[in-house]
Amino acid sequence: MKKTVLDYTLKIRLPFLLFVVAVSFLLTFYISRSERDGVGYMPEQPIKYSHKLHAGDLAIDCQYCHVGVTKGRHALVPSVNICMNCHTVARKDKPEIVKLTQYYEEGKPLPWKRIHKIPEYAYFNHSVHVNVGIDCESCHGNLREMEVVEQIKPFTMTACLDCHRDPQKEIPYLEKVNKGPENCAACHR
Amino acid sequence: MTPDKTDLKEHYWKSIKEYYKDPEVLQAKLNEFAKGVTDEFSVDKLNGLSRRRFIALLSASAALAATACSDYRDKGEIIPYTNRPEGVLPGKPDYYSSFVNDKSVLIKVREGRPINIVGNPDHPVYKGKLDAQTPATLLNLYDPERLKEPTKDKLKIDWAKADAEIIDALTKAAADGKEIALIGDRITSPSVMKLFADFKKKYSTARVYSYKQISDENKRIAWDQCFGTRNIPSVKLNNANVILAIESDFLGREGNTIEKTRMFAESRDIINNGKMSRLYAAEGSMSLTGMNADYRLRIRSDYHHNFILSLINELIGKGMTANADKELRDMVSSFPLDDFVKRHGLDALKISYLVKDLLNDPSGSIVLGGESLPVEVHTAINLLNNLLGNDNLFDYSSVELDHQPLSTDKELDEFIERSLSGEVGVIINFGVNPVYHLPSSLGIEKVFSEVNTTISIVESDNETSALSNYVLPSSHALESWGDNFTRSNIYELQQPVISPIFNTRQKEAVLLSWINGISEAYSDDAFKEYLMDVFEENVFITQNPAVDFKSYWYNSLHNGFAHIKSGRLQPGTFKFNPVRKTTNADDYDYVLHLTPNYFIGDGRYANNGWLQEMPHPVSKISWDNYAAVSPSSAKKLGVENDDLVKIKTASSFLEIPVFIQPGMADGQISIELGYGRTVIGDVGKNSGFNAAVLQESLSSVLIAGVTLEKSSGSYKLVSTQEHHSLDDDSVKDFHKMRHIIQEGTFKKYKEDPGFLHEEKHKLKGITREHKYEGLKWGMSIDLNKCISCGSCVSACNVENNIPVVGKDQVELGREMHWIRIDRYYSGTPDEPEVSNQPMLCQHCDNAPCENVCPVNATNHSPDGLNQMAYNRCVGTRYCANNCPYKVRRFNFYNFRDHFADAYYQNELSYLANNPEVTVRSRGVMEKCTFCVQRIMDAREEAIREGREIKGSDVVTACQSVCPGNAIVFGDINDPESEVSKYRTHELGYHVLEELYVKPNVTYIAKLRNTHAEEA
Repeated sequence: MKKTVLDYTLKIRLPFLLFVVAVSFLLTFYISRSERDGVGYMPEQPIKYSHKLHAGDLAIDCQYCHVGVTKGRHALVPSVNICMNCHTVARKDKPEIVKLTQYYEEGKPLPWKRIHKIPEYAYFNHSVHVNVGIDCESCHGNLREMEVVEQIKPFTMTACLDCHRDPQKEIPYLEKVNKGPENCAACHR
Repeated sequence: MTPDKTDLKEHYWKSIKEYYKDPEVLQAKLNEFAKGVTDEFSVDKLNGLSRRRFIALLSASAALAATACSDYRDKGEIIPYTNRPEGVLPGKPDYYSSFVNDKSVLIKVREGRPINIVGNPDHPVYKGKLDAQTPATLLNLYDPERLKEPTKDKLKIDWAKADAEIIDALTKAAADGKEIALIGDRITSPSVMKLFADFKKKYSTARVYSYKQISDENKRIAWDQCFGTRNIPSVKLNNANVILAIESDFLGREGNTIEKTRMFAESRDIINNGKMSRLYAAEGSMSLTGMNADYRLRIRSDYHHNFILSLINELIGKGMTANADKELRDMVSSFPLDDFVKRHGLDALKISYLVKDLLNDPSGSIVLGGESLPVEVHTAINLLNNLLGNDNLFDYSSVELDHQPLSTDKELDEFIERSLSGEVGVIINFGVNPVYHLPSSLGIEKVFSEVNTTISIVESDNETSALSNYVLPSSHALESWGDNFTRSNIYELQQPVISPIFNTRQKEAVLLSWINGISEAYSDDAFKEYLMDVFEENVFITQNPAVDFKSYWYNSLHNGFAHIKSGRLQPGTFKFNPVRKTTNADDYDYVLHLTPNYFIGDGRYANNGWLQEMPHPVSKISWDNYAAVSPSSAKKLGVENDDLVKIKTASSFLEIPVFIQPGMADGQISIELGYGRTVIGDVGKNSGFNAAVLQESLSSVLIAGVTLEKSSGSYKLVSTQEHHSLDDDSVKDFHKMRHIIQEGTFKKYKEDPGFLHEEKHKLKGITREHKYEGLKWGMSIDLNKCISCGSCVSACNVENNIPVVGKDQVELGREMHWIRIDRYYSGTPDEPEVSNQPMLCQHCDNAPCENVCPVNATNHSPDGLNQMAYNRCVGTRYCANNCPYKVRRFNFYNFRDHFADAYYQNELSYLANNPEVTVRSRGVMEKCTFCVQRIMDAREEAIREGREIKGSDVVTACQSVCPGNAIVFGDINDPESEVSKYRTHELGYHVLEELYVKPNVTYIAKLRNTHAEEA
């Protein structure tokens, strides 16, 4: 049988093309996955604040600054006056603290870069999670060792549901824990 | 037509067309959407501005795509407080007590912005309940068309400069002996009283005028004549057994409707105390009170005088002589009741029941007079009440106070005359709108061009400010301090919950700085201190509490009111006051009855979309007013709905569309005021007609002797009444006797409590029943306590971010209210009986909407909620097609963008949104969620406290405001809960339960308290 251009196209060129497309899609999909989910996001902050120093070395409790975490929806990035509780006296001469003091004294808004975000149609609530004993670390990673905060886990619906469906696996340190709700209205309304 | 046969109605109808079986209407009942709902969906038909917006969005998304090429998506910033105010926790609402729209309320505030207005549960009169107006006034705070800067002759001016110039003008006017006219609303505030007195002290020629378009002034004058005081005691309606309302809409728009509704509902609470009062309504216009009456007597509004005198005559003749002296007998002897009944073609049977009831229980009967009635009729009503000897029903410890009489027609006339002759130097419009409200025949418009200095201190531009030299923006009630003393036992306080959004000042503070005479001396706190002084003097010193002033003040501010130990304010003894004989009303063909609108009031809320879109409680018309006439009058005149008619008085005329209102008295025309504003924002533009042009004077609201003729052309009125009407015909095929609405009589219920369920079929599903373990949400609505005031609709709008769609979209049946109040007529169009039924998502266990959703966007939660995931919805509208209750609402547009070209799509109006509820955009379906955000809040609270959530932890928005306490919400799996009691009650029924969708909203059947003989 005579080989035609059509044969060549259908038998070799097309499968090859499809293969290349599929492989590049898969490669891009998996390589960019963490980026899409925001895992590893580590933006530069207006002030070089170190969780390692404060929460790790100085062992300040998370809730000293994140006052809302047991009370409501938001954990709350601390208002500047909380920083100034210590820094009106502590390390006043350091350049970052000078910057901080300036923000405080001028009443200028301090624009921290947001790292963890879920879409606005999902209504997450910190207090219901923290009040049943779930540790910050389970979602945010070990901040006590982070010089600069980065996102450790994906904040996708799958990630939420994984834990809601099988909490024993994700948070084994809680001996008695119920499954989280899986119905739509638990998060969306 | 006799008023019997109330048990099983043969046929309910919602409109005249339906009554006569118009094929179009019958077809519409079978369809899911009203005609036109699904049309007009071509992109080309979108207006130009929307297209521009689309292109702007397109370029914005291109810019977004460009930035997305960086490593990670930018997630924005978190900006914390620099100094977090103590007690403020972002994400957690705070509640502050205050008063808005003259109602004591709590303001829900999130991160410093008011997002909701809810009732104040500690208040002894309101008990945490509200009317339909008050929650919606929130939108006025965020109205983009509010005045933002002071202006002089339309040019921007500094406050300090304006103050200085005005102080000069005032000083000059006072020195020249020219009058300074201060025109304001009815004074209810002691501090404003003092402020005005101080103003008069400083500027000796100042005079205060106060007016109200519709007021209880006539009632107070009559009370004064009979008892020697203008302070009227409140009525203990909950103790009354027989209520006769004479043209009195005490449930809808007259006086303290919230308190009266609560008491009325209490007197008809079958479930909890098994008793039932009887309401007779004698009226010419169809009012909300008339709709709820057990017997409605159709009497033209100008016949009431003779009616009451005849009634008195009859009662005396039948032996009620205890309080009847000779004078009274002589006066009424020429009014035989039989003649009256015959002459006006009334139902003699109903009248005989009324007479019998009054004779049987005189001390448990009360007669209430409407605000539109003249003084003579109110005097006659006082005579009748005195004859009945029902003093025990008046509450003299909580008296409706009157600080200062309103200006009389004569005073207003004289003021206008003086202004035109140059005797008035300055006019200050103190937050009102006289040019719109006062009848144009008085010539008030001319006054504003004659007088040198005219000042308006108003929230937004109106007809009066448009003619004023100085227009000073005043703050909204939520930005103001104030006090209110309308009931003798409560002194209410108002506090600001947000600092002024624009460069506004509250009008009292402006006046105060003019009294001080130094324009630079203004401070935001000045009026607060003034208020505190008045409070100290009037309340603290007289009440003499055991604490110091500061703690007493803060405590009162926290509560929103202070209790006043006033004791019993006994009026003077009853003074017989002969009633003047009025002209014989029969001489006139037509009488015109002017009433305020239920929602936009006297026009002050005409720029509030939420209130404009509320369907009228009776006619279900929104966005317009109309001339309501009876079916017979319309027939005589040869007019149909929407036809224009011309109403003529001696000096003026008005062209207005006609609406055939079943139940109107023949020869009566009823028009609501507050519409037809000419200087107003985009929302209120072109809505309705100003009927005030027909008035000769402000007090003439019942105008006899008008002529009515057909005019050419028509005007489209839009009503929600035929939308979402239930398909009862096809259901009838299966269960002929089952109706959408079920009712009976009180007597029948007493004889046979289970009468409702006699013919109940045993229903069985073909699928496996799903078990609900633990908590399961359910609601019940007691139709004996629901008066269809619309508070629930309004509260739901505010709580759940319901958009305003506009008149054109309402016409297409696209209104978005999650709860509506269905109104059904039965009987004849002339004398209909009315049944109401609030309708909302029934959260059916076997929800038909869930089965048909192709993307599973609507499904069931384990606690029995029918959930709606907006971000999953693709907008097929299958669910709405399959819903037997027609409660699903589709976003045909992004309505915030669509309504009047993005009126509510601005930075300011977005602040009114509840941050706990998604703002739905175009293309998604929505419906009642049972306030799932409140359920989740309660759950969070329970987890924090380490306990299980209880059914009583959640109060839905509609339930929280309902003045009749008709709505109960809770856990139906808990046999002890309140809602279970209703659910299992023998009067409970589910709408269309034959469909076996197993709804979770239980209705308690309406019972009419009619007489035994007829059942």
